[in-house]
This record gives sequence, structure tokens and C-alpha cells, in this order.
Amino acid sequence: MENIDSVTLSVINNALINACREMGTAMMRTSYSPIFNEGLDFSCVIFNTRAEMIGQAEFCPTMLGSAQYAVKWTIEELGLDSFEPGDVVIHNDPYRGQCHMPEHMVLKPVFHGGELQCFVGNIAHIGEIGGMAPGSFASDATEVYQEGLRLPPVKIMQRGEYVKDVWRIILTNHRTPKTSWGDLHAMIGSLNIAETRMHELLERYGAELFAAAGDQLLDYSERWMRSEIQEIPNGVYRFQDCMEDDGVTDQPVWMRLKLIVKDDEIIADWTDSDAQASGPVNATFVVTAAATYSAVLHVTNKDIPVNSGCYRPIRLITNPGTVVNVRHPGPSVGGNTETHPHLQNVVMAALSQAVPERAAAAEAGTACNFLFGGAHPETGEYYTNYHFDGGGWGATALHDGNSVMCPVNGNCRNTPAEVLETKYPFLTLEYSLRTDSGGDGKFRGGLGSKRVLRVVGPEITVSALLDRTRTYPWGLFGAGHGAAGGLLVKKKGDSRFRTFSEVYGTVSATKFTRIVLKEDDEVAILSPGGGGYGSPSERTAEQIEDDVRQGLISAAAARTSYGYER
Amino acid sequence: MSLPTQFRCGIDTGGTFTDLVALDETTGDLVVAKWPSSPHHPEEALIGVIRESQLPPEAFSSLILGTTVATNALLQREGARVLFVTTKGFRDVPFIQRINRRYHYSLEWTKPKPLAERIDCLEVDERINHKGEVLVALTDQELVRLSERIEERLNGTDRPNTAVAVCLLFSHLNPKHEQRIQEYLTGRFQDLPVSLSYRVAPIWREYERGSTVLADAFVKPTLQRYVGSVRKSFESMGISCPWSVMKSNGGRATAEVAENEPVGVVLSGLSGGIIGGRFFGELADHENLVTLDMGGTSCDVGVVRKGQIAYNTDYQIEWGLPVAAPFVDLTTIGAGGGSIAWIDKGGFLRVGPQSAGADPGPVCYDQGGKDVTVTDANLVLGRLNPNYFLAGKMRLNTDKAHQKLAELGATLGMTVEETAQAVIEMANENMANAIRVASIDRGLDARDFTLVAFGGAGPLHASGIVGRVGMKRIVVPLYPGLCSAFGSLIADFQVDKVWSKHFRSDRVDVDVVRKHFDELVSEAVREIHDEGFFGDPEMERTISMRYAGQNYEHDVRVEDGEITAGSLDEAFEEFHRLHERFYGYSIGYEVIELIRFNVKVVGRTDNPQLKAVATSGEPRPRETRQVYFKEQGFVACPVYRREDLRAGFTWEGPALVEEADSMILAHPGDRLSVDAHGVITMDV
Repeated sequence: MENIDSVTLSVINNALINACREMGTAMMRTSYSPIFNEGLDFSCVIFNTRAEMIGQAEFCPTMLGSAQYAVKWTIEELGLDSFEPGDVVIHNDPYRGQCHMPEHMVLKPVFHGGELQCFVGNIAHIGEIGGMAPGSFASDATEVYQEGLRLPPVKIMQRGEYVKDVWRIILTNHRTPKTSWGDLHAMIGSLNIAETRMHELLERYGAELFAAAGDQLLDYSERWMRSEIQEIPNGVYRFQDCMEDDGVTDQPVWMRLKLIVKDDEIIADWTDSDAQASGPVNATFVVTAAATYSAVLHVTNKDIPVNSGCYRPIRLITNPGTVVNVRHPGPSVGGNTETHPHLQNVVMAALSQAVPERAAAAEAGTACNFLFGGAHPETGEYYTNYHFDGGGWGATALHDGNSVMCPVNGNCRNTPAEVLETKYPFLTLEYSLRTDSGGDGKFRGGLGSKRVLRVVGPEITVSALLDRTRTYPWGLFGAGHGAAGGLLVKKKGDSRFRTFSEVYGTVSATKFTRIVLKEDDEVAILSPGGGGYGSPSERTAEQIEDDVRQGLISAAAARTSYGYER
Repeated sequence: MSLPTQFRCGIDTGGTFTDLVALDETTGDLVVAKWPSSPHHPEEALIGVIRESQLPPEAFSSLILGTTVATNALLQREGARVLFVTTKGFRDVPFIQRINRRYHYSLEWTKPKPLAERIDCLEVDERINHKGEVLVALTDQELVRLSERIEERLNGTDRPNTAVAVCLLFSHLNPKHEQRIQEYLTGRFQDLPVSLSYRVAPIWREYERGSTVLADAFVKPTLQRYVGSVRKSFESMGISCPWSVMKSNGGRATAEVAENEPVGVVLSGLSGGIIGGRFFGELADHENLVTLDMGGTSCDVGVVRKGQIAYNTDYQIEWGLPVAAPFVDLTTIGAGGGSIAWIDKGGFLRVGPQSAGADPGPVCYDQGGKDVTVTDANLVLGRLNPNYFLAGKMRLNTDKAHQKLAELGATLGMTVEETAQAVIEMANENMANAIRVASIDRGLDARDFTLVAFGGAGPLHASGIVGRVGMKRIVVPLYPGLCSAFGSLIADFQVDKVWSKHFRSDRVDVDVVRKHFDELVSEAVREIHDEGFFGDPEMERTISMRYAGQNYEHDVRVEDGEITAGSLDEAFEEFHRLHERFYGYSIGYEVIELIRFNVKVVGRTDNPQLKAVATSGEPRPRETRQVYFKEQGFVACPVYRREDLRAGFTWEGPALVEEADSMILAHPGDRLSVDAHGVITMDV
């Protein structure tokens, strides 16, 4: 089909985005777990029949880069001709194109005139999927079988009817089946809305034009992305970073990048990275791909319609069996929340050598994953919750880093204290900015947060997975690094907070599972601050004075970091 | 000659003009006037526009003002210094916010600054839990300590422009501690206004409730000054009739209410349009309406379903800074006559959201504007009369617009006309999209609705928009450019009340629900009387419900009469049906949670009787002009003046109808008709 005029193309692009937004709104409003409805930890997508993403809405970007692999795998494994109207496929296998096990994709084929035209889908974090730890964040898992229930692409709905056997298997293996049941309905219900929108679009434009528009939108984004990459100086840029430990051994695991920019293409060569870790900090290939895509999107124009076309000029090289491309049966649950932002920070640091004016220093890089569960003291019902916190973002060439933000690989909201306490037996004693946690520089890194929780009921079982508690979010161009994060505990009657290793003897102080806290015990979650940008000597007296006045830095830090005396 | 007091008057203060519409209640005559706005002294434009109307001060029976003074204070950050008081451990909540970001892939974005400085955020040692029980009592010593810290913070500062905002954890369930702080501080600091979060937004989620009370405190001194200067101006002019301010929820508030709880008038200037639009839509016998108010820089889309305006509580001052107070639900996008056409890096033509504004304005204003705008495109295609823009007060330069469009077209490989057509289509598509979003968000199908088009540019674009969303009929009000002022004039009284309390459908205490609903109703009735309504108000009770375990609610109406187990069961059934309609499924056996109990009390204002227009005679076009349409190219198009039209007149497009503040465009094949009051209906 010849070129579609730009107005029509824009209209179709808008319609695809709107359908995805509607899906997201429906999920937020109907889902059961806070990670969905407060956190918005999901993505909504539309794919063509060649498994290319032609539309998406901005919720959580983590899943966007990976979705195309998950959909492709599903189509290749099941075959295009196996889909019928009313089918919904579910899929969370990290070795078949998913980010990690909690991320579940549901995918529905859309038919028009008896022919398969496209797929609508969403990927969302199901809070509890079984496995060795409540909340399914097994920080000391050594293989995937400990991380929960793994589902290859299978139909959960067939011709509009429940496939009851599959539902029974899923709900039997999750600790909080009622919540899973509600969240899965929210996911599947939202697909129906997007399907209706696609029918309207197909009705209006016809199948041929619809398909051609999808292709041309992909080409359009590719063209724009290539012109953006063209503006990045050619060269080979290297950077490396590590996970400080893997939850099972106390060894760092290194990710090493050689980023090659050549004309209008980028090659991310990760082959020098360490072998895959014993613990669950391994990234699946799609996580590494998503992190690479996302970092590049951060230094290019924010208005490029994000679809598979954007990714075409970006290639990856990874070795299977390494921390950036885990092989079965290596565990990977933390690879998506922790290794993912690290990988993205590494790509950003490499790019900062090429386009310093468009890059940012490192951000906290950890979601401070804190999982807990038990029997609720008021109802006796079993609950689990996946809790996370934001941290400081890195400063840029133009401004200070934002304080307390969701890590760069996601875009989730925090859970309000009033919501948390209504649902779970924790009392929040403090939720504050950490003074002096932002890296010093011409532009200061964002501040991390401190959250103190007290157990209200008889006991709560907790697990955790945090990184950058011994390493730091780095600064750029002479700036200082952000403060490290931490996770501390104060037993009832104790006078001070100590690490979990000190109190409970865990191998890792911040990656462990199934510690039982008792009534009135307290936990402090400290998120890291972001790195600074440019030499601290270039920061103006006015900015330093204001930071001191507002309590963002202490007078002592003003003296030692900036040499400022008033 | 002395006139009896018989004019109901609505005045709308916009960014560029202050508009007045007055209705003679005995004859149905309308008097209109326009005067340039004076943003820093809005009362001056009020005086100006009243003088311009030539109505004597004693002629007014009531005056209702729509004002953007609170909106502007928020948007331009020109409000009070606010001291924020909160529960110990939570002073940083306004800074931490919700930790998400506006754009996925932008490092340029910075988190919005809250309306208080961190140094002015103070903590008190007290704590209430999720059941409303007091865990840590608020002691007298703590109140003394708080007042000392406030004293210290206020030391030597501009006291008249300072306010306190209080947001304590779970105050929506138990407001006692907030109330005590207010009592104590009001006694201790006489001239310091104190806003409480449980009053301005009795909802859970501490960040959203806190952000709302910050906004209330922030604009309070501004509102007090505004009300004071208006009062003085009216006195000096000898106007002694009662006057009120439009509320964001479409009701109206007396001056006293507006200055005491300004969060209710934050969007005062926005609500008139949809009310005016509803009036004309209903006059033309339609109860399902989409209103489209397109001006110079932006376009507001509203939905009226079965005569009911939709409401929302999700306004944001900027992305991430919410104000959770009820307002008429409008979708605002950056599409207006001044919206700029540009080409993005991928080679797509885009229109807006940037606007050339009034200065320099579109290229054709000839005031130095260099960017092609929607108005330029309309002019080049013959849709605007260069000699009768603003009734001839401004002459438009067609040649310059033509030249700039040619340059834009060269980059796109299109002719001037094709380019202009594409610019208009993009703008129309953006507005059509806003209509889709506005209707879809409420589970409605736009095809069942009639478009009411107004604002300076609405009637010109309406016919090009409706086809894109499958709508068939357009209504164009009288004086389309003054519809907001007209809406103010006919605004009803309205008070909204909320009680937050958690119940499960299987264990709900009917007596407690009945008792609280009764209390809410009597409180609302008392307030509506305070606002100046003395008749019997209508009321609507709704309960916000969700399935047990969900997090967001739907408002479900409870039938009138005494609350009984039966009426609650009826509401639960309705919830299942709503859930099915919105989300495609329902769960008949699931427990439902009841989260909020809402009461809306409305005091109806009599709808005005408009004068009938003449019926005799066939209007003659003032001229015939070449107008470009996509399918036909340039076509000879008759141009009518609206004042020449007669009731009952019907004809077929293409046609233009021009009037002082607007232009109506009928595409070839559109059928127009004029009703008894002069309202134009267009079937496409």
C-alpha cells in the first residue's frame, strides 16, 4: 500500500495509544493488589501479527522493551493459526521472553472479517505466585523452581470461556489466590476494552489500511530514531558496574559494556560480563535488551512514538549463561528490579561520554524490594505484599536530580501510608527525605528516602532484595556519588537499628527471605541518593545556602563538600 | 428614566476579555458587553464591562462572577506563604509525592514544587490509625510547641499573606485533632487563616489530601483580596444587589463562602461554559450533549448525560500536584485558533499545544507572528472574513498567512490549500480525540450525543469534528463567544458533602448509614441556604463502592426516600451493572466495600425565557465567498449575518454565518435550521 497521509497516520497512532491507556485505566480501577492500583506496575500494548509492537501507553516502561520478545515467542510456539476469537494466552516464563516470573503477560487475538488482525495485551506484576518466599521474591533462590509457578504460553480463556483447569492450577499454586483471581480478571477485562477499540478502528479504516498504517508507524519511528542516533558522535564507549552480592554468595557480579555508536546504529556488546550468579540477580536477555533500549530513549527526543521501530537500529550482543543473559534454571527475580536499573545506568554512563549534555549521573538503581506476609490480625486472612521505594535520581547538565523517584526501569507510584496501614499490619513512623544523601556537584543528586515501619500484629514474615547498600550511585564529571542505601532492624526493646546480618545472621544484609518479625519490631528502609553532575566548586553560593536552609544538606556537608562557610 | 431591578447578570473574566451577559427577566431581552481584562486588577475590568453594558447600577437583580483569579494564583504561583502542619514523621510527603514521573524517557522533567517550602513544614506529635482510633493523643504542650514554632517562622514576615494548611494522617476518619489545631491557632493568631484537610478533601491518601489543603490555603488571601476589592467596586458604583462567585462544581457561592473555602472556586472560570452549553442544548431538545468551547489557546470538552453534568475530583495544578475538590469534568487540550502548526523530527505535521496567544498572535494579525496557526489556515481557505474579524475591529492580513503556509507546505510537499486543510484537520482530530477520551472515560458512546459548539472558534470547526467521532448534530448557542458568561447567569446553587467510612456489603449497619446521610443532607441544606438559596433544594445521594480488595470506587446512586436495607441492596445491584458496563465483567457474589457517602444538594435557578426572534422574511447573504473544502476544492459559499436570520429558516451548506464574536461553517450537504429563539442546529 502506498503512503498513508500523515493526518490519517496520526489519527491511527492516537487511537492505538488511547486504546492502551483505556486498558491501563481499567486495570488500575479494577485490580486488587496495591502493586497494580497504587503502583501501576504494568504495561499495555498492541502488536501486529508479525509480533511487532505498534502501540503502547505510558505506564511502567520495564515491560515495553521486553514485550516484543514475549509476544514473538508466544506466536512462534503456539503458531498463528492456533488463535481463535475470544482466546486469551497467559505467559510468564523468563526463558521464553519474559522479564522475571512475577511479570505475567495476557494476550488476546483480535479478529475482523474472520481474519486475525492484531493482538492486544498487557504485562503486569502479579504480587504473589508461590515459590519459597511469600510475595514470590526469593532473594536466596538458586534456581527458577524456587521462584514460583512458571507458565509457558497457555490459553487461560478459549473462545470466550474459562479454561478451568489452567485457572485451578494457577490459583492452587499462589498463596493469595483471591487477589490473583481479581488481578487476572482486571487484566483480562481490560483486554476486552482494547479489543472493542480495535474493532472500531478496523471497521472505520478496513484491514488493509490498518495493517499498512501499523507498518508505516514502525518505519516512522525507526526513521526518527536513526536520525537521533546520527547526532551521537561515532565511537566506542565502555563502562561497568556490579551487583554488590547475589543473595547466595557474598561476591560481586560484574556487567561490562562496550557500546559502539556507528552512524545511525548502536551496538551494545555485553559479552565481557560475568558468568551468571548463583542467586537471583541475573537478568534475562530481554531485561538487558529493555534496559539498553530505554537508556537510548532517555538521550533522544521524548516525542518519538515508542514502538518496535525505535528498537530496530539498536542491536545487542550477549553470551548465554552470563549475568546479562541467564540460562535455565538460573534464578532471575531480582534481575528485573535490581540488575535492570544497573544495566540502564551503565548504558547511560557510556552514553555520557558521547553526549555529556544529554546524560544523567547514576540514580539509586534499587527498588528497595521489601516483601511481607502473614495472617492479618484483624481478619485472620492470609495476605502478602510487594513493597518498594524510590530513590534519588542523578543530576543532569541542566538541573539537580529529582528526589525519591521510582527507579528508571519502572514508573510506579508509592503506596500511601494510609493505604498501606489500612491493608496490612504495619504502622509507618516516618517517611522522609534523607538529608545529605544526594551526591554533591554543580548540580546535586536527588535525595533518597527513609521509611520506618513498626509491626502492629503478633508477627510478620519479611523478605528483602536491595542493592547499592555498599556501592554508590556515581557522579559524573567531577561530582560526588549519592549515599548508599540500607535496610535495618530494631527489635522490641533494642536501643538502636542494626543490620539483618547482625541480628539474624543472614549471608547478605539486604537480600534474604523469611525472617519473622514480632510485634513492635521496627524496620528502616533507606534508599540511596543520586549522583551529582559537574564539579561541586561550580555550585553557586545561592544554591548551597538554599539547600542548607531547606535542610536538604547539612551545614557540615556544605563545609566539607562545597567548602562553604557562611 | 428609572428601570426596575430586573436584570440577572453573569460576568466571565477570561484571559483576554471580560464578558457580560444580562437578561431582562420580564422581556427575555439579552444585553451583552465585552471589555479587555485587567489581569492584575480584575475589578477594573468588571467596572469597565458593566459601564460598557450601559445598564444602570440599580437595574441588576443579581450578579454572578466567573473568575480565574484562584486558577491564576495557582498556575502562576502567586499566592500565600503556606505553613504546612502534619503528623510527626510525615513533613516530607508533599516533596516525596507519588514517586512516578511525567515522561518515561525524559531527563529534562523536574518534579513539581509543592506550594510550601520544606522549612515551613512543621510536625506535631499525634497519631490516629486506620480505624480512626487515637494512638498518640494531641496534648496541650504540643499545641503550645506548635504555636511557638509558627511564631518563630512568622517572625518579621508579611503576616497578611500567610496561611496555615493542616493535614494529619487519617483525619478523614477522625477529624478531632485537626479541629483542635484550628481552634487553638485561630485563638492564638487572629489574622492567620487555617485550612483543614478533612474539610476540603475528606478522602484517603495523605499526599492527595495534603496537596488539596495546601492549594486551599495558598489561594485564600488572594480570594479575600479579590472579594474585598469587588465588594468595594460594586459599592462605589452603587450596585447593591446580591452577588456570588461561580464554584468549580458549577454551583455558586456567596462572597463569604468563596473566601473561606476557596478550594471550591479554584476552577470558577471554567464551569460557566458547560452550563451555558447545556442550556442551549436542552433548549434545542437534547439531553445528551458534548460541549466544545474552543477559544484562542485551548479547547474545553465537557459531557452532559441525561441533562447531568459530569464531575471529577482529579484536577492537577501541574502534572503531579493534585487538587481533589469537585469540579465540572472538562478535558482541556491545547487546541485553539492560535495553536501553532509545526513539523516534528519524524516529518509529521503537528498542531499545538503551543499557541501564538494574543501577542504576537497568528501571522495574519500582522503583529510580528511568524508561526502558522489554525486561524491563518482558516483565513487562507476563505473561512474567515478578513474585514469582519471581531466585528471588523481587527483587519487580517491574508497575504502574509498565505506566504507562511506556502513555506510550511514546501517542506511537506503540499500546496498552500492542502497544507491549510491538513492544519485544520490536525486541530480537528486533536479535538475529536478529546471528545473520544471524555466520553470513553465514562463508558459512553459519543455517537449518541449532540455537540454544542461555542467559544470564538468552536462553531467554525464543529462540522469538521463531528464526523470523526460519528456524531450527527451540532447546536450553536446565541452569542457563542459569550457562553461562559451566559452560563454564570443561569448557574444553580450546589453543595457537595462527603463522609468517609468503610463498610462491607455483608455487614453494613443501615441505621448508621441512614443517620450519617441525614446529617450530611441537613449540613448541605444549611450551607446552600448560607450561599443564598431559599427554596427546596433537590438532592442526590451516592455511595462510592468497589469490590472487596479493589482500590478505586464507582459512585452509585441511592434511590430517594429513607435509607433501608432494600434501598442499599438496590444500589449493590446497580454497582454490578455499572462494573459490567465499564469494565466488561462483574462478580455477582463478591462482597462490595462501601468507602464514601456523598450528598449533592442543588438549588435550581429558574431557566430564563429567551425572546423569540422574528419569523418573517427570507434572509439574504451579505456576500458570496470562495471557500475551500477537501473534497470539492474552492466552492462559492453564501455568507450570512446571524442577526439577519429568521426563526424557522432552513437551508443547506456550504454556508458561513458570521457574527461579532464567532463564525459558523456549514460544509456542503450540512443542513441548518434556526429555531424560535435564534439557536442554530446543524445536521451533518
